[in-house]
Amino acid sequence: MIERAMITILFYGFAAAAILLALAVTTSRNLLRAAVCLMGVLLIQAAFYLLLSADFLAGVQVLVYVGGIVVVIAFVVTLTRSSQLLMDHPSPLRMSLAFAASAGFAVVSIASLWVSALHQPGMSHSKVDSTKAIGMALLDTGKTGYVLPFEVVSVLLLAAVIGGIVIARKTPPPSQPFTTGGDKPGEADVTLPKSQRISKDGRDSR
Amino acid sequence: MMSVGQPAWEVVTVADRAEYWLESHWYFAVAYMILAVLAVAAMVVALGMGLIYGERKIAAHFQCRMGPMRVGYHGILQSIADTIKLLLKEDIVPERADKVLHLVGPFLTLVVTILILGVLPYSPLLQLADVSLGVLYLTALSGLSVLGLLLGGWSSNNKWSLLGGMRAAAQVISYEITATLALLVVTMFAGTLTLSGIVQSQAQGWWVWRAHGVGLLSMGLFMIAATAEINRTPFDIPEGESELTGGFHTEYSGLRFAFFFLAEFINMFVVAGITVTLFLGGWMPLRIGNWETFNNLMGLIPPSLWFLGKVVVMVFVLMWFRWTFPRMRVDQLMRLEWKFLLPIGFINLFAAAVIILCKWYFFPV
Repeated sequence: MIERAMITILFYGFAAAAILLALAVTTSRNLLRAAVCLMGVLLIQAAFYLLLSADFLAGVQVLVYVGGIVVVIAFVVTLTRSSQLLMDHPSPLRMSLAFAASAGFAVVSIASLWVSALHQPGMSHSKVDSTKAIGMALLDTGKTGYVLPFEVVSVLLLAAVIGGIVIARKTPPPSQPFTTGGDKPGEADVTLPKSQRISKDGRDSR
Repeated sequence: MMSVGQPAWEVVTVADRAEYWLESHWYFAVAYMILAVLAVAAMVVALGMGLIYGERKIAAHFQCRMGPMRVGYHGILQSIADTIKLLLKEDIVPERADKVLHLVGPFLTLVVTILILGVLPYSPLLQLADVSLGVLYLTALSGLSVLGLLLGGWSSNNKWSLLGGMRAAAQVISYEITATLALLVVTMFAGTLTLSGIVQSQAQGWWVWRAHGVGLLSMGLFMIAATAEINRTPFDIPEGESELTGGFHTEYSGLRFAFFFLAEFINMFVVAGITVTLFLGGWMPLRIGNWETFNNLMGLIPPSLWFLGKVVVMVFVLMWFRWTFPRMRVDQLMRLEWKFLLPIGFINLFAAAVIILCKWYFFPV
């Protein structure tokens, strides 16, 4: 009884905080503050998963979204100068498009919530090890298993990692177009003025 | 394998007790929660003071100095004096700083550390909550902790702070991978994510040697990666005094600085605690094969003392690191992670999988 009451109170508290933080994400003029608010929203989402006793999902949510994505966003924002991104007067076309898109999304989501009879599962607070069940299901080759999607996603992630390496790799020196420089530092972009160059035998060329 | 007189360890956490009383006498549950919060707060203060004193004394003796000697016998009250001084200091916020984020940075860093303190198993009867996620929880929080340093560095509006914060972010994101790979090895051997479950899986021997070299290697990897994650000296480039004045905490003073400082020192305890829990048997007493008398003697020492003793040794090792290895350069740091530790970590994980499949580890239960 008390447990149910606590869960209800927690849910409404979290929901209110999530809505407020989500509003702050969109209205904040400072990108890094928006990122911090986004972190709050994602953390509260993890709390919702916990209330639904999806522990593993909550952990992964914090690990991937908060520890990964928000950190990368913050990292990138600190690298750019646009942390005080101010677009004071967007064009009317842009504004109307934005309003249309958000209104459309609101209508669609409200309508879908309205027509669908939400199946409310009983608060099953069983101490089932959901982590083990997820692991078993992911590697199950049977009819109810998910091994094929799991492997496909793995290959996709591998491709993404390789793509990242290729993009980050230093471009080969222009004189040898078809060889890659590998990890070796590329040739210096700046050529020193003649007066500062040092000839190969170590003596000053002057 | 289990000896006759060996009691089976039953873990009862504070959260379990609170849950037990919740339906009948809810105020007992509330009392347990308040007790837990007070205990953690007391622990933060005690750990902070004790570790700072220990660090200063050990550092001094490594350098043939005496360290603090004036306040109390051999300076044992020095930390208290310093704490009072720090609390009374003026809290200076730079005028062009982002006021809100400047506060959020140190706060977030300390909160993450405290959240980890709440799940460490100190003894079978002394653990605040045994979260079912365990290792995943630790990994997720360590990713979160870097955000505090990054925000603190950026919001100070100072180039040194910014550089320090970005170095911290790059470093923690990189070394997190190796730390996770090392933790995965133990998770695979123990077959569970919960921390108390991992401790209990080491009843017949600690994973550091029971896992046939793989455990030892992953403990080494974890120690290196964790030292980098908590920005301690060979890897303290985010606050390298010689290059960045103070790194991310250049513009911090007073209590906000104390938060960063406290988090840094308690993180040392946290890393030692995680290492002990995962690799050195946590609160499990030392047991050797079937030496019954020896095992029974070791079992007489209470588990909490085992945990404390092991943690003290590991904290000493971390301080020892600091006075043994010189600070690395940024490029050396990245090279070490991406070219050495990461491949070793993957090979180690693969080898662990093979060992588990073939059941090659010692004392199978």
